[in-house]
Amino acid sequence: MSGIVSSEAHKPPTEHRTGQGRGLLMVFTAAMTVVAPLLLPITAYYLNLLMQASTYTVAVLGLTIVLGYTGQINLAQAAFFGLGAYSVALGTVSFGLPFWPALFAGVVIASVAGAVLGLTSLRLGGHYLAMVTISFQQILTLVLTNWTSFTRGPDGIPGIARPIVFGFSFADNGTYLALCVGVLWVVGFCVGRLKHSKLGRAMQALRDNELAAGVVGVDTYRTKVIAFTLCALLGGLGGGLFAGGFTYISPDQFGFAESVVFLTMALLGGARSPFGAALGTALLILLPEWLRFLKVTYLAVYGGAVILLMVFMPEGIWGFLETLRERLWPPAVLPVGRVAPLPLTTQVAREDDSTILEVNQLSKHFGGLKAVDEVELSVRRNTVHALVGPNGSGKTTLLNVLSGIYKPTNGRLFFDGRAVTRLLPHERAGRGIGRTFQNVRLFTTMSVLENIIVGAERPGNEVAVGSTGVEHYALAALDFVRLAELRKQTVQSLSYGHRRLVEIARALAGSPKLLLLDEPGAGLNTVEKSELVQLLKRLKGHGLTILVIDHDMSLVEQVADHITVLNFGRRIADGPPAEVLRNPEVVAAYLGK
Amino acid sequence: MITCRIVLTGMLSMLTCFGRAAEPLKIGMVASLTGPAAESGLYQTQGAKLAAEEVNKTGGVLGRPIELIIEDDQTTNPGSVLAFSKLAGDKDVSAFIGPIHSTQVHAMAPDIQRVGKPMMIGGLDPQLTHMGNPWLFRCRPNDTYSARVIADYGVNTLRKKKWAIVHSTDAYGASGMKNLVEVLKRTGVEPVLIQGYTNNSQDLTPVALAVKQSGADVMGTYITFETDLAILARQLRQLGVNIAWVGSPGMVVTTALRLAGPALYGSYCVSDFAADSSPAAKEFAGKYEAAYKTAPDNFGAWTYDAVHVLALAIDNAKSLEPQKIREAILSVKGYPGAEGTYNFDQNGDGLRGYNIVKNDNGKIVFIKHIEFND
Amino acid sequence: MGIALQLLFTGLGIGSIYALVALGFVLIYRATNVVNFAQGDFAMLGAFSMVVLCIDLELPYWLGILITLVAMLLFGALFNLAVYYPLRNRGFQPVIISTIGASILLENGVLAAYGPRPQTLPGFFSSQGFSVGPIFFDSQYLLILGVTTVMVTLQYLFFERTLLGKKMQATSQDKEMASLLGIPVATMIMLTFIYSSALGGLAGILVAPILFVSVGMGSSIALKAFAASIIGGFGDVTGAIVGGLALGVVETFGAAYISVPYKDAFAFIVLVVFLLFRPQGLFGEKVAEKA
Repeated sequence: MSGIVSSEAHKPPTEHRTGQGRGLLMVFTAAMTVVAPLLLPITAYYLNLLMQASTYTVAVLGLTIVLGYTGQINLAQAAFFGLGAYSVALGTVSFGLPFWPALFAGVVIASVAGAVLGLTSLRLGGHYLAMVTISFQQILTLVLTNWTSFTRGPDGIPGIARPIVFGFSFADNGTYLALCVGVLWVVGFCVGRLKHSKLGRAMQALRDNELAAGVVGVDTYRTKVIAFTLCALLGGLGGGLFAGGFTYISPDQFGFAESVVFLTMALLGGARSPFGAALGTALLILLPEWLRFLKVTYLAVYGGAVILLMVFMPEGIWGFLETLRERLWPPAVLPVGRVAPLPLTTQVAREDDSTILEVNQLSKHFGGLKAVDEVELSVRRNTVHALVGPNGSGKTTLLNVLSGIYKPTNGRLFFDGRAVTRLLPHERAGRGIGRTFQNVRLFTTMSVLENIIVGAERPGNEVAVGSTGVEHYALAALDFVRLAELRKQTVQSLSYGHRRLVEIARALAGSPKLLLLDEPGAGLNTVEKSELVQLLKRLKGHGLTILVIDHDMSLVEQVADHITVLNFGRRIADGPPAEVLRNPEVVAAYLGK
Repeated sequence: MITCRIVLTGMLSMLTCFGRAAEPLKIGMVASLTGPAAESGLYQTQGAKLAAEEVNKTGGVLGRPIELIIEDDQTTNPGSVLAFSKLAGDKDVSAFIGPIHSTQVHAMAPDIQRVGKPMMIGGLDPQLTHMGNPWLFRCRPNDTYSARVIADYGVNTLRKKKWAIVHSTDAYGASGMKNLVEVLKRTGVEPVLIQGYTNNSQDLTPVALAVKQSGADVMGTYITFETDLAILARQLRQLGVNIAWVGSPGMVVTTALRLAGPALYGSYCVSDFAADSSPAAKEFAGKYEAAYKTAPDNFGAWTYDAVHVLALAIDNAKSLEPQKIREAILSVKGYPGAEGTYNFDQNGDGLRGYNIVKNDNGKIVFIKHIEFND
Repeated sequence: MGIALQLLFTGLGIGSIYALVALGFVLIYRATNVVNFAQGDFAMLGAFSMVVLCIDLELPYWLGILITLVAMLLFGALFNLAVYYPLRNRGFQPVIISTIGASILLENGVLAAYGPRPQTLPGFFSSQGFSVGPIFFDSQYLLILGVTTVMVTLQYLFFERTLLGKKMQATSQDKEMASLLGIPVATMIMLTFIYSSALGGLAGILVAPILFVSVGMGSSIALKAFAASIIGGFGDVTGAIVGGLALGVVETFGAAYISVPYKDAFAFIVLVVFLLFRPQGLFGEKVAEKA
């Protein structure tokens, strides 16, 4: 049942069986809940309540994707819900369509709207994106209310038809509820599986660390658009089912306040899990019912409860339970069987020392500040090239330009014979540039192995193919840095030194042609540093081309074949270590005149 | 002594029979206790409770006391549906009293039809009694009548032909506007301005300017919230617009008078409830004020009437069977309620007229009652 | 011509309301990087406080204002401690939600305590205003415009010319750096909330005679004020003012010449246009993330 089709040889047999057992239990539960409304005499009150809950949960699952997985705020879910509802309503009542085509149209329309909204995320994030969604929501509400000739305006649309399948009508509330519950299970299952798929990992990487995600090969823009599209799709689906369920809709039900309700449902239950979505929705629909006795004050209590939740249970209830579970039963340090070695040497012949990276007259200015000033650099294959210089000399800025995080003000870059000056970070990863960061940027909510799998899934990685191949490759990369038994650990539980190594493994999993290491020794103690040196030597021994920035000259001396020195953004020396380190200008730059 | 015991047991068993007969007769009420309409919801429950107490003081219905069970609809459509299904889940509930928002009634309509028991509603959308649902009975005159009364008074009594219509874009305002435009057109009058606005606009200068520019000499309005009403009134006066004004029922509620103050002096309002319109209305006003220390309005009046009409109908039907109650309600003719004299037609509309009242320097003065027979 | 001028005045009037509320938004955002969805409710609280003090308890106007402002200062502190402070390190999502929860709590708490009836507050001046030709100048709008100008000037002087003001600016620009320089960051943030709350309360007091006092009065302004602060350039005080005024004018003209029911849409359409083509707003600066 787990998304990672694990190499069965590595999974202990009990783990496998528990996975299967859990799957069977879920299928059984699903079947029971679908059948229950058909057989049990549920009162009209509960039928209505459950119909509302199940259709709302479908919409909230959309938020699980865009907010929980991808980390983007969407305050327009009620608008997408409304688009679906109005499509079904207008479709069946005004246009005489049967239920299913109207529902399909609604889902398509909502998805297109979601995609458009996602497209706006190109330049915007955080609050700004939230405001775009709010604007869309408000405008749609006004249109639904005022475009009376088409939408029937504020009076709403009564008499919405129920679906008919092969002559069997869903007019009975019980059967319709069974349909809704069935759809809910299917959607919930898909959303759950999404989390452990390549797209799901890309989304979570994006949420955890957007910058690193791009550099590691995730097309962040496309992922955001997809996330919004899926979210809107589910919103539209939920809305369409809702319209069919209550057979009457009016525009006042699809306003900003309702979007806030959806958002709160997602957050209350736990945005990161489909179970959380169901839990949150159920609670927020039932709570007002249970709190009916409070009459007037219950909404105030509700508001207060939201604050308390955010303070004490920010991951929502389900997230809280999961954290609790992790604390009580932390993932084991797992011994690992035989792991195929990481095939780092398949790249290039040992003897080839042609230039792999060419930096021509590169400049990066921030207003008046020339962080990088007309730097020339050549990195040869199969070498370790060090970039050094005192603090503020522009090393990290240069590396950021190489990664594609900054656009250069002037100059050109050539990698592996082709111009890369204008490529986006994930495209450069696709060409085989791997990178680590000065302040380690791992994806904190994913396990160690999942982090590395993201690296392995970079576009154009010919070595790791297929889901099994990817996992094998990732494991091999982890094994290379000698941390294979930590694969199930959460990133948070690792020491700083281990996190660094995991980050390197993540870069290695992308089978890079060039590895950029930004201050890999920063924050490491002496023991860890010497281990790092050993690792670098091993990498070098495997023929990997490395460009490393560091301060620590002893580290650099031990591994570098070639050193380039920057000071105040300009290149002041370039050559083999023995030569560069005796250069008086270099010495002066480090020690000050 | 044995005879005593027999008599005693006999009396006890008879008492238990009567005891069961004295079991309360449940009437379910769907009201807005929370949400934007909470204020009117409060008045509605007060009106209903007052009526229920009166009925119980005079022996109840079919010998049983009325028990009013109130469920909150949260002023939302799903909320109404849930409130209704909760009430309907109790088989002992014989009849219902519903909300005044037509959209909420629409939302409950399919379920009401399924349950098959009568509901007295206060929603004004004419459609509600013309869509084939036999269980809805309206205790307020619907919007075709308010429009006809506004038009009749403005055209025939005030003799104004250049109409500006200002309306809220919600269901209430839009429906009212539609009906008013239709009625005016039928009398050969084409409005010079039809201006909608969204509820809770903070500023209505564009509307006031539009009215001024249109050259209208009379304004017909359907305004939902008192805040918008007061802002509009004030801004109209600031711009020097003092034309005749015949507005929808909201214009004479206490809150509106308080917020708008002098800006509403001299305006007319069609109101389904006016304390001076009939002896029954006056009596009701007195009782309501004594019980709740404030003057009543149409929110409290219609529910008061609804409970009384239900009680009357059930007594006449001598049964709790829904079909019999229905027929009894439809047979109610000439019942003097606080809102007017009830003559139920086949569609379930009980009232077909409105009162014209005038805001005379802050005092609400009853002018006349206009009634239609069709 | 007369109409356009009238619309302009009214637009500026309503715009200055947005501007006042936007000021509060921007201050909190600059200090904490968080959008406070309950900002409009500060205005609502200020207005209700005045109703309770001046109408129910019949205190003199000036006393009511004084007590209300003091109460709002205290409330700002309470708000910070309850809603922001526990979540200050958790990223912006939990805080946004928490402020939404606070908004719901405040609105419904007041509803439960006071009831749903809208209230009125007499204007500051006994006369409603005066006419010059065809244009009517509403005295309360004039007052708001005046007060906003004064507040903006005072605020400018405070932030640019006093040490405390500069410390608060430093905190808002770079918390870590400010902390390293010995500025007590938590205190600065507390001060920001306190001031912003009082500002919100002041907006409510000024606005009440025009919009009347109801539980929802704040949230309807707040969204537009938020939009205004983005249009002006989020994080910039001048931007908030200009954005607010511009929004009020655009809205009013749009309503008069295009469509009244869609009035609210104009604000958001303008916002979207800005977000797509100039997200830093009229006056804001682009900030790059440090890699």
